[in-house]
Amino acid sequence: MTDAAQPLGTPASRRPARRRGPRRDGLLTLYLYGAMILVACIVLVPLLTTALGGFKTLGELRTNPFGLPQEWIWSNYWDILTTERYWRMLGNSLVISSLTAFLTLAAGSMAAFTFAHLRFFGSGALLNYFLLGLMFPAATAVLPLFIRIRDLGLLDTYLGVVLPQVAFGLGMSILLFRNFFRNVPKDLLDAALVDGCGYVRYFWHITLPLSRPILATVGIVSFVNSWNNYILPLILLNTETKYPWPLGMMIYRGEFSTDWHLVLAFVTLTILPTIIVFFAAQKHIVAGLTAGAVKG
Amino acid sequence: MSSLHSVPTTAAAAPTRSRGGARRKGLRRGVWPVLVLFLPPAFLLFTIFVVLPIGEAAWYSLYDWSGYGAPEVFVGLRNYELLFRNPVFLTALKNNLLIIAVSALVQLPLALWLATLVSHRIPGVVAFRLVFFLPYVLADVAAGLIWRFVYDGDYGLLPALASLVGMTAPYVLADRDLAIYAVLAVVVWKYFGFHMMLFIAGLQAIDREIYEAAEIDGASRLQRFRRITLPLLAPTIRLSVFFSVIGSLQLFDMIMPLTAGGPSNSSQTMVTFLYSFGITRMKIGFGSAVGVVLFCICVTFAFFYRRGVMRHD
Amino acid sequence: MAEVTLHGVHKSYGELSVIKGVDLHVRDHEFMVFVGPSGCGKSTLLRMIAGLEEITDGELRIGGQVVNDLPPAQRGIAMVFQSYALYPHMTVYENMAFGLQLAKYPRDEIDRRVRNAGRILQIEHLLDRKPKALSGGQRQRVAIGRAIVREPKVFLFDEPLSNLDAALRIATRVEIANLHRDLKATLIYVTHDQVEAMTLADRIVVLNGGVIEQVGAPLELYHHPRNLFVAGFIGSPRMNFVEATVSGTGEAGVTVVLREVGTEITVPCAPGGVRPGDPVTFGIRPEHLAEDGTGAARIGGEVQVVERLGSETFLYVRMANGELLVVKAAGASRARPGDRISVGVLADDGFVFDGDGLALPAGPGRAPRELGTTRHEEMRGRPGPLLS
Ligand SMILES: Nc1ncnc2c1ncn2[C@@H]1O[C@H](COP(=O)(O)OP(=O)(O)OP(=O)(O)O)[C@@H](O)[C@H]1O
Ligand SMILES: [Mg+2]
Repeated sequence: MTDAAQPLGTPASRRPARRRGPRRDGLLTLYLYGAMILVACIVLVPLLTTALGGFKTLGELRTNPFGLPQEWIWSNYWDILTTERYWRMLGNSLVISSLTAFLTLAAGSMAAFTFAHLRFFGSGALLNYFLLGLMFPAATAVLPLFIRIRDLGLLDTYLGVVLPQVAFGLGMSILLFRNFFRNVPKDLLDAALVDGCGYVRYFWHITLPLSRPILATVGIVSFVNSWNNYILPLILLNTETKYPWPLGMMIYRGEFSTDWHLVLAFVTLTILPTIIVFFAAQKHIVAGLTAGAVKG
Repeated sequence: MSSLHSVPTTAAAAPTRSRGGARRKGLRRGVWPVLVLFLPPAFLLFTIFVVLPIGEAAWYSLYDWSGYGAPEVFVGLRNYELLFRNPVFLTALKNNLLIIAVSALVQLPLALWLATLVSHRIPGVVAFRLVFFLPYVLADVAAGLIWRFVYDGDYGLLPALASLVGMTAPYVLADRDLAIYAVLAVVVWKYFGFHMMLFIAGLQAIDREIYEAAEIDGASRLQRFRRITLPLLAPTIRLSVFFSVIGSLQLFDMIMPLTAGGPSNSSQTMVTFLYSFGITRMKIGFGSAVGVVLFCICVTFAFFYRRGVMRHD
Repeated sequence: MAEVTLHGVHKSYGELSVIKGVDLHVRDHEFMVFVGPSGCGKSTLLRMIAGLEEITDGELRIGGQVVNDLPPAQRGIAMVFQSYALYPHMTVYENMAFGLQLAKYPRDEIDRRVRNAGRILQIEHLLDRKPKALSGGQRQRVAIGRAIVREPKVFLFDEPLSNLDAALRIATRVEIANLHRDLKATLIYVTHDQVEAMTLADRIVVLNGGVIEQVGAPLELYHHPRNLFVAGFIGSPRMNFVEATVSGTGEAGVTVVLREVGTEITVPCAPGGVRPGDPVTFGIRPEHLAEDGTGAARIGGEVQVVERLGSETFLYVRMANGELLVVKAAGASRARPGDRISVGVLADDGFVFDGDGLALPAGPGRAPRELGTTRHEEMRGRPGPLLS
């Protein structure tokens, strides 16, 4: 899975080239690039016009939705970047997502470790209990969740958002971790026991250092899920200063509903971190997200 | 040659049951400390924030309750009755089914087609793959908002595009009949890249020698696709359908910026319905009933799909 | 003192009984080898000694102390695994130091021991590498090094050479023998390679189906197998077995007639409980058959297959009863498939197994042999065939 982003041969390309005339080859290439460019345009045009729209005036947006701005209005972006609100929003997201990813990794790997290495009364049933969590979305339980978080006094706190997110990510993370841990050679555990490791130290000194790939996968999946989560913060937070970016973006859009140029600038700036990180770590992210899905 | 006789040694008939000595405390000591240390965090989190809320949803759904004080007004199954009599909920159900259908009939073939395209060894495919995957990493809310702009009647791209070819586009998001289709287009736009990646992984797992063997057997390109690629990709296809269904059942984030369920509730899904009729009006009992119905659909589907369709995967 | 004593040791997984009562005494400084067919419980027994498997029933003592309930690290043992089980994320040095660090040894003591082990095993230059950057043989050394630094009373090896190629296996085998001599520790070694067993062991334990078939020095097992199983297991190619009937017993030993073959052979052993007419099994090793017909008796047959190894030749001869007899012949043997030959039997080296598969004890005609020479070699020098 890790090389999902590597080039690969397919049925068509594996066929020896000499069997096909250069004309047909050319046609095939034309068709391939034509189709890919068309789809790429459908993907990119909305994104690019959004970014460009942020440089325009409202009036120009109306007359010239596609083209480059006649005059680049940097202040649209600059004004947002200099507000505290933008940075606070991203900061909130960062705190919530990091905390979620960290706790998912910690709780998930520890629980999965017991399932992978220990047989105890009811271990199979307990594992199935956790896997139940894979079957339904958080939305089904938002109302009781709201009541519960309120009664716990966690309403409108980071933790109140983080804990449910972690809980709903546990099923997937336990499954991924357990499958990974079970593939670590069993002799390693035996060798460590002979060396005087207990289970806890084995987990810390051997299992975790060997689990970097799966830690990355689970970490990325839970971070991205939390980074993009909307419904839980929507229901569980009600102070604007604590909103993560999806909520903040909706609020901004509500405030400036008639000023599309500002909204576009704001949207561009809020998704920019995601896009930058995506392209910077694309290999890991693509692999993580698809592997997480397939193996989960 | 006669069979080998094994020779009984001293304690041939000795009891093999544990004498207790070894049972009393395992050699692999520290099993209990590990269990006590490692399991509770996950167990408590999962129980408190996943399992109990589901149970409470079932409980609350039997009450008429605003969320303050204790639920006292027991109404039995009346919330469910109201729910299934509610035309908006039926619209939401229908929309969810529509989303599933479009995912399976439009998005899946599109993703498969693109996966075969970008599996060719030609310069630049890796970049194209990344571009196709990009919408998937954006938040639903962001995708929704961007497309809200695209569809916008005054400033949007769609009307501009229509006027380029000399037509006037309707304001799709304000049109009761079109809004849900506009939403569907965004769903496909956002998720096809993910399914494409699944298919790429599936294609990669197919041994290329199988294709060479088929070519020697004289199979044409189309035949190879139909007789080899499709059957061998079947597990991936089933997985992709599974994700489509579960994903569409929980569709919410994207609808909020696009239509918020409107106009006149024509683009509600079950979760937006739950939000607008349960949460914003603080009808905990009624909203919980929606959650329970959604839960039953998800679990029933997941159970039967995994047991039935994906049994061998 | 590092004797290992097993008393009535049992192991079962639920209903499945894997070790069915083992009594064994491994002496201090002894090199003890467990052999047996796959699945007979060798690893299980070793892992019970290591503390990696619980002992279902029975008692295990190391150095006189009952250790049934002690965790592995406190038993004074060290183990070398078949897969080496090196920690992939640690350097060679860290791999060896890990156990000592856990036991909270002072840093300089750890360093001294690791470097010393590195010197003994000639892996000093590899100490900073990760296992991935090592060859199979080097990994093997690291695995042994990890055991050495613990300075254990008992070393446990589970098929340590089976992942090495043939040449390296022989070289390492010699080194392990040297190591045992230098370290003066008790060593228990599991293998299914009988050459390893024969060359390394002070004593060999032959296991089968969870029970001990026989314990003894290598040549003792070769010359005095207790039963059919040990006789068939020790020696390569394996011993030939032919169904036979006792035709008489006397001063010279037990006389048997090979069924459907007709050959009558007198084997010098005490009759024990067998009487004329009893069905028995006659056993003879390929090296105790002579292609040229030398020996006390002859078996006729047709050569089916000829395996030429250069230094020696193995003939597969189809006897009248339809079964194949393996004969070890000289490297220069001229035999070809299809030849009819008459194979000589060095009857003094034959065995008779009674109806229960037990070997009849050596009788008056069979003097206890000195280790290192076989009757066979003496016979070879003796001219003239004996009457059958
Ligand atoms: N955890 C277990 N549960 C059930 N049965 C087991 C378990 N471990 C081993 N066994 C069984 O115990 C028997 C002995 O296994 P063991 O590994 O000791 O054999 P072995 O002599 O080492 O064989 P090999 O030469 O193949 O390594 C086998 O029949 C095996 O199937
Ligand atoms: Mg074994």
